[in-house]
Amino acid sequence: VDQHYKKITRRKFLKTAAAGMALGFVSSPSFLVAKEEYDLAVISGEPVAATKKALEAIGGISRFVKKGQQVVLKPNMSFARTPDFSATTHPLVVVTVAQACMEAGAQQVLVIDHTLHRAELCLERTGIPEACKNIPGVHVLALQDRKFYREIKIPQGKVLERVEVIKDVLDSPVWINIPVAKSHSATGVSMGMKGLMGLIWDRESFHSKININQGIADLGTVLKPHLTILDATRALTSGGPGGPGEVKKPNLIIAGVDPIAVDSYGVSVVPWYGQNFKGRQVEHLLISHQRGLGKIDIDQLKIFKEKV
Amino acid sequence: MRTFLQALSLLFFSTLFVFATYKLPNWLPADIYLRLDPLLGLNAIFAAREIIGRALWALVTIGATVVIGRFFCAYVCPMGVSIDFLDLLFFRKKKRQGLKLEVSLRKVKYFLLIIFITAAIAGLSLAFLMDPMALLTRFYTFFIYPVVITIINLIFDLFRPLFQALGLVTLSHLHYPQPVFYMSAITFIIFGGIIALNRLVPRFWCRYLCPLGAFLSLFAPLGIFKRRVNQDCNECMKCQKSCPMGAIPEDPRGTHLPECIQCRTCVKVCPQNAITFPTSLSLGGEYSKIDFSRRGFIYSLAGGIGVGFLATQTPFTLRQSKFQLIRPPGAIPETEFLRTCIRCGECMKSCLTNTLQPCLWESGFAGLWTPKMDLRLAPCDQNCNVCGKVCPTQAIRSVTLDEKTHAKVGTAILRKEMCLVWAQNKLCLICDEICPYNAIVFRPVEGYRRPFVIASKCNGCGFCEQRCPVKGESAIVVVPDGEIRLKEGSYVKEANKLQLEFKPDPGDDKYILEESGFKIEEKKNTEGKGLPVEKPQPKKPKGFL
Repeated sequence: VDQHYKKITRRKFLKTAAAGMALGFVSSPSFLVAKEEYDLAVISGEPVAATKKALEAIGGISRFVKKGQQVVLKPNMSFARTPDFSATTHPLVVVTVAQACMEAGAQQVLVIDHTLHRAELCLERTGIPEACKNIPGVHVLALQDRKFYREIKIPQGKVLERVEVIKDVLDSPVWINIPVAKSHSATGVSMGMKGLMGLIWDRESFHSKININQGIADLGTVLKPHLTILDATRALTSGGPGGPGEVKKPNLIIAGVDPIAVDSYGVSVVPWYGQNFKGRQVEHLLISHQRGLGKIDIDQLKIFKEKV
Repeated sequence: MRTFLQALSLLFFSTLFVFATYKLPNWLPADIYLRLDPLLGLNAIFAAREIIGRALWALVTIGATVVIGRFFCAYVCPMGVSIDFLDLLFFRKKKRQGLKLEVSLRKVKYFLLIIFITAAIAGLSLAFLMDPMALLTRFYTFFIYPVVITIINLIFDLFRPLFQALGLVTLSHLHYPQPVFYMSAITFIIFGGIIALNRLVPRFWCRYLCPLGAFLSLFAPLGIFKRRVNQDCNECMKCQKSCPMGAIPEDPRGTHLPECIQCRTCVKVCPQNAITFPTSLSLGGEYSKIDFSRRGFIYSLAGGIGVGFLATQTPFTLRQSKFQLIRPPGAIPETEFLRTCIRCGECMKSCLTNTLQPCLWESGFAGLWTPKMDLRLAPCDQNCNVCGKVCPTQAIRSVTLDEKTHAKVGTAILRKEMCLVWAQNKLCLICDEICPYNAIVFRPVEGYRRPFVIASKCNGCGFCEQRCPVKGESAIVVVPDGEIRLKEGSYVKEANKLQLEFKPDPGDDKYILEESGFKIEEKKNTEGKGLPVEKPQPKKPKGFL
């Protein structure tokens, strides 16, 4: 019966979607059940509305978060910059996801990052704790001491054999990556994959000892977010990762299960340093793709697009 | 009553100390105890040869002493409180005979006072060595504060499993960054010594050594409250033995007024209830004199001038041309800075990132305990201007954030022979990544991308020096060259005059990164921006293919 039910709704949904396309961006509650139909949800709009819609379009948060689970959200709050610098994830995006997790019955939500600037300033400037303070069960933490990290092995590592990762991420059944779209002077762009470096203890060796692009791919083999929500409401298209630099406003939220697909799409939404690039041209994304971590060619993806 | 007031004063002192950190409200004078200290005030005013606004608060203390007497030592002085309380703890049961040298030792503090004042007039700030407020603030900063943080973190670690079991998320992730200071041990030994001297006689420090006490005792006989002994006295001498200041002479009816701190211990111990502290305007006759010889006065004058002179000579002071320390942003010009700074350590306590560290001999004897920036240890946070806010003598000026940003402390220089990019062709760009002002750019040099510092965009904040991944010394260091040290006036204006700009602006970076961040098609690479064609890049460009 279940199967039957699903089939019908799917067809119904496809029809509606087609109609919607024709009419131009019509929303319908039937999208709610569009589970696993799309690789990516690309929603244009204000941070809160677009994030909500993106979650809905990717199958609803309850696809990832089950009742009583602890959820880790990993935004970028590494820099003591206000949201308008676009060096950090927009607080409204973070709080919307956190709220959705709690509504889906999460036991608690830990919003975690290993900040690059002084922790208290990052927390203050990024506005993320401020935005989350009224939601019970949501805790914003900057973990700046080694005791909060645990070493794990990287079986498929090429340049890294082991790495120390934030314990809470390793111990949580679900974690969601919420990067911001920005340029990066070492890796071209810094989105979800580069953001993995915010979960580990020693990042300096990435710059000094090992090939950073291979290193990121190594991390990708062991740190797999259950969902990636790229905050491209703003994009720091030059001067990244810390800014200041040129801030563009694509007004997009890009959500997907495949971390490479999300980043790759993110590369395509704005010109970086004044030039258009494809995901394939970003070395760490290409390496990650070649090592089987995700799809990189966005024209082969099923993408749900909508404006809210 | 007295113990209560003392405890209250120490608590107030400690609370202000805790508040002296980033986000200190503008209305809260966290350095009030230091401002109220007339010795520090005089020292700074004489040494700097100008009136310092905040130091005028000391007039309150002087005025109160003139009216009431030397109550400060018994009721307010947090050093006195510490001495009394620790005395109770360690030496309560010890039998202490009075010292035979009592009379001559008592003079020592006056000699010290004269030496300090004379040294100040000679241009050397020296009172910090023995001023109780400066001493105690230093002890708090370099010892109590880091120790307390360590203990708190240990307690958190101990209870962490419990917090986790109880699901207390914030508590189970709590950890305070551990402050580190270079001169903790020395500061502790000095404070420990002061306390240990109590073994010999109660309040040894206050009786014989404290130059602030000596200063206040000059006015003490003017105070209206004076000890009086009535005819019930049976000369049991209990009061004389119990007086913590040794202010009661052989004849227990008399009082050395300069020494009396009005603690009223004598009132309590007197079996005859013969002692009172009525108001009186008389000037106590022979006992209100300060026993001080002319010879001693001359000697200490000479001593002060001598020290003042010597300290300005090498090796006690490094020569002007060799100043090599990075001082906090807003620090006034070096010579004036050394004269005005009272080494209380408040700036180092308040420093958000812990970059401010005390000097030992880096700028000679004249620079003991002065703050320097250790940028390899930590950078100067660009959102913080608390060090000036808490400076009681304004040796570090209290300025707005914008002004502070323009108070350039130095300039970063790249040491190419150590730099991973210059020396080893590695793909490092941490200095560029972390720089808040895009003062570091990559430019093509003979086919390789190399980092450069744009001096006019660098205000010496030190993020690059701290983050440089080279082991040991940094490959990019901030040197004092280009620092802006102003006694008055606007740093912004000065910086503009020098055509410096510390602004969020991608500027040069944009052009540079076109070649670096992304892979650009071969033809663009050869066409664009005058990149040398003959030498191909040794590696794929950064990040993009």
